[in-house]
Amino acid sequence: MHDVINHLINTVFGLGWPGWAISLIAYLLIATILFMIVPFQMLFLTYFERRAIARMQDRVGPNRVGPEGIFQPVADGVKMFTKEDIVPDAADKWVHLIGPGIVVAPTMFMFAVLPWGPGMVPFDMNIGLLFFFAISSVSAVGLMASGWASNNKFALLGAMRAVAQMVSYEIPAVLSLLAIVLVTGSLSIVDLITFQSGLFISSSDVPGIPDFGLGWFVFTPVGFLAFIAFFIAALAEGERTPFDIPEADSEIVAGYMTEYSGMKFGLFYLAQYVLNFLLCAITAIIFFGGWQGPGVGWLYAQAITPANPAGNGLFNVLAGVLGVFYFLAKTYFFFFVMVWVRGAYARLRIDQLMDFGWKLLIPLTLVNVVSAAIWVGLTKWGAADGLAFVEGWAPLMRWAVAFVITLVMNLVAYFFLVRVYSQSQDERARLDDEVLERLTNVA
Amino acid sequence: MRSDRVGVLRLPYHYAPTTGGELMDLLIQIIFGLISALVIGAAMMVVTMRNVIHSALWLIASFFGVAALYLLMEAEFIAVVQVLVYVGAISILILFAIMLTRSNEGDRLFTTYWWTSGLIALGLFGAVLVPTLAGTIWNLPQPTGPAGAPEVLSGVEELGRGFVSEFVLHFEIAGVLLTVALIGAIVIAFEERSRRRRVLTLAEELELRKRQQASEHSAVAAADSVD
Amino acid sequence: MTRAIPLEAVLVVAAALFCIGLFGALSRRNLIGVLMGIELMLNSVNINLVAFWRYLEPRFITGPTFVIFVITVAAAEAAVGLAMIITIYRSWNTINADSVDSLKG
Repeated sequence: MHDVINHLINTVFGLGWPGWAISLIAYLLIATILFMIVPFQMLFLTYFERRAIARMQDRVGPNRVGPEGIFQPVADGVKMFTKEDIVPDAADKWVHLIGPGIVVAPTMFMFAVLPWGPGMVPFDMNIGLLFFFAISSVSAVGLMASGWASNNKFALLGAMRAVAQMVSYEIPAVLSLLAIVLVTGSLSIVDLITFQSGLFISSSDVPGIPDFGLGWFVFTPVGFLAFIAFFIAALAEGERTPFDIPEADSEIVAGYMTEYSGMKFGLFYLAQYVLNFLLCAITAIIFFGGWQGPGVGWLYAQAITPANPAGNGLFNVLAGVLGVFYFLAKTYFFFFVMVWVRGAYARLRIDQLMDFGWKLLIPLTLVNVVSAAIWVGLTKWGAADGLAFVEGWAPLMRWAVAFVITLVMNLVAYFFLVRVYSQSQDERARLDDEVLERLTNVA
Repeated sequence: MRSDRVGVLRLPYHYAPTTGGELMDLLIQIIFGLISALVIGAAMMVVTMRNVIHSALWLIASFFGVAALYLLMEAEFIAVVQVLVYVGAISILILFAIMLTRSNEGDRLFTTYWWTSGLIALGLFGAVLVPTLAGTIWNLPQPTGPAGAPEVLSGVEELGRGFVSEFVLHFEIAGVLLTVALIGAIVIAFEERSRRRRVLTLAEELELRKRQQASEHSAVAAADSVD
Repeated sequence: MTRAIPLEAVLVVAAALFCIGLFGALSRRNLIGVLMGIELMLNSVNINLVAFWRYLEPRFITGPTFVIFVITVAAAEAAVGLAMIITIYRSWNTINADSVDSLKG
């Protein structure tokens, strides 16, 4: 964006403005565009989810407002705006007020490092991935604050559940990303995407692979296991259905949102859907190449970039449109998978949730980190790093050996851990039965 | 795709013309003043607030201010780690601990001799720290290279290299410390009785009631047969 | 940055934060308040380390490395400290620093 603004002002109009003015204009413009796009994304996502889940449950869903009910979210928004804003008498007024704000603000910050297309990233931070997850953990504070300030036991219970769940599922999410970061050797999200060019094999691992934009991480054993673990953790962080314990309406009313109404409730709703969108987007970016796809790389090579200032501006637009299309298609596919999971699975109990996270996902992702280290050693290192025996091998051969070894390692780890986990769950159920037995005998 | 790999957050400097830096300096000074006011003010609120939850929320604000200060000093990795660890983990731990304990502080916020500690803190600040800081001559290195060129800063890559070469022993000790702290926290806070106090599900309660009724019936039947 | 703000300004902010934290740690009755004061003090130390790195030795990574170690120690300290506070609450039913005095002769 900075390059395009610079090109427009200084080259096309020849005004010769200083660099900071161009930066300022570019960032303001990007922020405005994002703040206009994001709420509309959220409106569309709510409509999409309601229609999709209705189709799965053999219903019709909202279809009254506008053609096929497409304006239903707008009507909902109007309703929320005009509702009375109720603050309970016993609530802590200020904390009750700022709670939803603390929940929403981090989700907006996370867009700062999200790349939409080739060259279309608001801010390419060299620690972007870490920033994304650091900021996402802030919203837990807002949940806790709003749950406590409501002075309602259901709200407090919901907040405690939500925070416990978010904190424990952050660990497998970050560990599965750590494997990917090891492979790419960079924390920048843009570098992560450019790494994934190629055709089923990343052209960074094996030079000479034709670039069809399909060298995604999910095609490697390390990336596949990391993808599964990350997506499950993302479902838990976004409070999606198998893990929607914090707002289980049959147990604790609406969790931390119980005492909120009107637009404050709307803010929680907004934060939730925007967070879901972001989690789907980051899944698509990290494991499925983001905007990478057939044709984008070729188009972007002809465009105006810092490396190629003599390019054609038309190709910027073409590459951007195609890249954003691929990116949004992948993101919406993952959102559809989230809805699909909601239609298919029942809610877990809190102890099952914690057991699954701590006893299965975390060991699996730890093994995956070791696999990633082996992958890096076999595909990138040489005699200089102490791996002399790989020196004479062809790149494809090294890639194949790394593939087989990590595949075997991950499969063995998966089957072993799943067996141990299911045995421990059986044992636990047996113990629970014994406790029940003893209770009944005493009584 | 990126020209400057060392510190991406130095955009204003990177694009600033070499002559017109005074405006940028003033801007940085204003930002520094605001951030310092936030840090100090929030810290004051932390120690003087009566409600512990409010204290914890102000503590989070203070942590954020410190993270912003790191960003201003171009240590973006440390800033992100500050947000991740302090705001995302430690303050959540503190909030959890507050929720798990009931604060019956009574009418007194401070200990009996709070003014002594106040005097110690004020004296330390006014009589020791500030004169020392003001009286020391810091050997600030003179900027090398052409004027206006971005300074070379060590970043995330050097940090990672340091952890596996120069500071590898410290790194491993930190890992052991974290493991020990994890196990220690579990051992200290573990409650033996918590297992027995499992909340029964509705189905289990129903089952329990059924069995109770059955045992009562059988007891009645046994009493009858004795008669 | 180094031109606009003198090193002393950053250090004075850190010193003020340290003294506020010290006051909180010494005088709060609530044990969690004491812990919060200690966290403030650790933060001020981190500010100092980063400032010295930035102003005096920007090419060497020693300062940020020790900030990472301090953050690690702070996390460990918070986990163990809060576990102890919860245990104290279970046995004394209070978390006031001056009520936990069974060692008093």
